[in-house]
Amino acid sequence: MALYEHIFLARQDVSPTQVEEMTAALTGVITEGGGKVTKNEYWGLKSLSYRIKKNRKAHYTLLNIDAPHQAVAEMERQMGINEDILRFMTIRVDELEEGPSAMMQKRDRDDDRGDRPGGPRGDRGGFDRGSRPPRRF
Amino acid sequence: MAIKDLTTSTARRPFQRRRKTCPFSGPNAPKIDYKDVRLLQRYVSERGKIVPSRITAVSALKQRELAKAIKRARFIGIMPYAVQ
Repeated sequence: MALYEHIFLARQDVSPTQVEEMTAALTGVITEGGGKVTKNEYWGLKSLSYRIKKNRKAHYTLLNIDAPHQAVAEMERQMGINEDILRFMTIRVDELEEGPSAMMQKRDRDDDRGDRPGGPRGDRGGFDRGSRPPRRF
Repeated sequence: MAIKDLTTSTARRPFQRRRKTCPFSGPNAPKIDYKDVRLLQRYVSERGKIVPSRITAVSALKQRELAKAIKRARFIGIMPYAVQ
């Protein structure tokens, strides 16, 4: 079976419990098709960078799926019909990542950035001329 | 010794830049992930455009991977296509 990462965006006016129900329903579709959902991560209501179907915010959910293609295709078909789902993206991966994804551990990552003294693109501005050659008179 | 020292110092131009290396190569390099907005944000301009690798010094292989990750992040709405 193939491994997939799946992200879907639910409309902003649905409640988190409804999103949970949707996730459960989609998980059901996958298990019926002979696959399994190994991770289910709810990112919460996040604001979008641009409007999608007139929405400024969306509920994000990440699913890690280990399922045959037919099961994923069926799930995607049903998602396309569901009007509460704004958008979804399924990506085939070689291996599923364990533990929380980058989105969930963002807050702790502020601390371990000490190795970059210049901050974002700090090496872009000023010159680093290297060591100065010895002076000769 | 003195002669060798002289040749190296004349070969070095006064405004020589340090050779930058690819931030995604080598040990403990970050993994390019489309979900990691904070990482990807460093490689887009203020307008939201992908910064060319000649400025960021990302290797060609990693730049392709990075561009794909940024485009995925844009599609799921966690990064902008264009900033006004």
